Amino acid sequence: MSRREFFARSALGGMAGAAVLAAPSTAFAATAGPGALGTLIDLSLCDGCGACVDACRTTHADRYPRPVEDIPVNWPTGKYEDWQHMAEATDRLTPYNWTYVESVEVDGATVHVPRRCMHCDNPPCANLCPFSAQEKTAEGAVVIDPDACLGGAKCRTVCPWHIPQRQAGVGVYMDVAPGALGGGVMYKCDMCADLISEGGQPSCVSACPTGAMQFGPKDEMRAAARQRADAIGGYIYGADENGGTSTFYVSPVPFSEIDAAISERKASMPEAERISVPGMAPVTENFLDGTEGALKTIAVTPFLGVAAAAVAAISTFKKGADR
Amino acid sequence: MKAARSARDTILRQPLTNRISHWLIALSTFALIVSGLGQMPMYQRYKIAELPGMAWAADFGVTLWLHYIAAAVLIFAVVYHLVYAVLTRRFAIMPRKGDMKESAKIIAAMLGKGEEPDSHKYLAEQRIAYAFIGVNTLVVILSGIIKVYKNLPAIQLDPALISLTTLAHNVSALLLTIGIVGHLAAFIFKVNRKLVPAMFSGRVDREYARTRHSLWYAEHDEREQPLSEELDRAA
Repeated sequence: MSRREFFARSALGGMAGAAVLAAPSTAFAATAGPGALGTLIDLSLCDGCGACVDACRTTHADRYPRPVEDIPVNWPTGKYEDWQHMAEATDRLTPYNWTYVESVEVDGATVHVPRRCMHCDNPPCANLCPFSAQEKTAEGAVVIDPDACLGGAKCRTVCPWHIPQRQAGVGVYMDVAPGALGGGVMYKCDMCADLISEGGQPSCVSACPTGAMQFGPKDEMRAAARQRADAIGGYIYGADENGGTSTFYVSPVPFSEIDAAISERKASMPEAERISVPGMAPVTENFLDGTEGALKTIAVTPFLGVAAAAVAAISTFKKGADR
Repeated sequence: MKAARSARDTILRQPLTNRISHWLIALSTFALIVSGLGQMPMYQRYKIAELPGMAWAADFGVTLWLHYIAAAVLIFAVVYHLVYAVLTRRFAIMPRKGDMKESAKIIAAMLGKGEEPDSHKYLAEQRIAYAFIGVNTLVVILSGIIKVYKNLPAIQLDPALISLTTLAHNVSALLLTIGIVGHLAAFIFKVNRKLVPAMFSGRVDREYARTRHSLWYAEHDEREQPLSEELDRAA
């Protein structure tokens, strides 16, 4: 039993059986908010040219980290994460590269997979950030605030793909107690939130010369992905992963084979760098799956408290009367 | 005979109901602080998870689960405590007018300057401490409930509200922790230590109550538990 299964099946869930929380079941269904947007990425059309990566790098160059020269060593681990030596690398996710194309061999053919943040419907990264340094916009973009992030990297741990990448020596922790507290700033794709809030498209989509990427209302993108998958007898990734995301991949080959090929590449990398290459395994659970049971339990407890207090008070009155 | 002597030397200060709610609140709050620090995240960062038997502390799934369970216990105990106080009209611990001034006098007296004023069941500083811990507990609970609610799949709250809630949760949790440290630090002063048994056996030294909580002792003596009756019960 996995950790999350344990979480979901815990006493919380059991106690919630007799929940008084009469919330309509639709309130808990995974739905997109108004104006939610999504991306369709058709791997049968991607030739791996890298135009999306170049466009992303140009668009976000002024937001890449500019760490201090002498990066403080974290006490007591004696470590810090510095990607400056890989600032030009475009074959992985780093604080200096928020999208890349993973090119893998599957059954003798090369499949090119543009990778970046999936922008989940219920993002554990943003929801579990202890300082709420991440938010989900009305369009569905999950955005990190570099001025609020302390670089604890919890978001990277709870993300099934470990998308956010950390750079040390930059950010608000440098003003507090560098070395003793925090560890830098987390960086990742922001779905070009500025552009899309003004009706534009993410720069990766605009730059794609083959039409492998489409951007628009999320429901339409999801439907288009299904249609395309049916037409080519292909597979979809991202529609149900982690409880649903804003990114819909369509592939002519199974994603399990793509994931296996990615794992092979990761195995050949130094261990500390593997975190910069996201896999494509099925993600059937979300870190926050136990929330409903927890909230129902929490909703029951005040009633139990009132009942117990009433019983205790009656007993107190009775004792008083006896005297 | 031994029991009778004990009843004569001590008086009931905290009935069972108070002790139960106090310890449920104390233990759940301790679990919330421990698991909350795990959510910060602190245990891997400061190598605490590397200590023997502490590996679980670095697991956000485990600390989140512990946080939710402890929160349910805390909410139960706080609601129980408040509702019971209202139903039985027991407000001795609520702050009163002039408590700040009076508590300054008490602290001065503990440091050997001036005489300590007569006190009710609680010293003025205890009432202030209760209010401080109580208000922060309520803020931490209410903000915590919003934080759990926003984790539901279909819920997307306004980012400004989320930021404010998170700030309220973190600040109130910090103040609450400081309040608890202050509460425990009170026992550094020997004069306060006679109160400790009140939260275990429920009883405190009769002479201590007579001198330090004279107003309460007077009420207590005439109204609630005449000594003879208490001795009868103990015998």
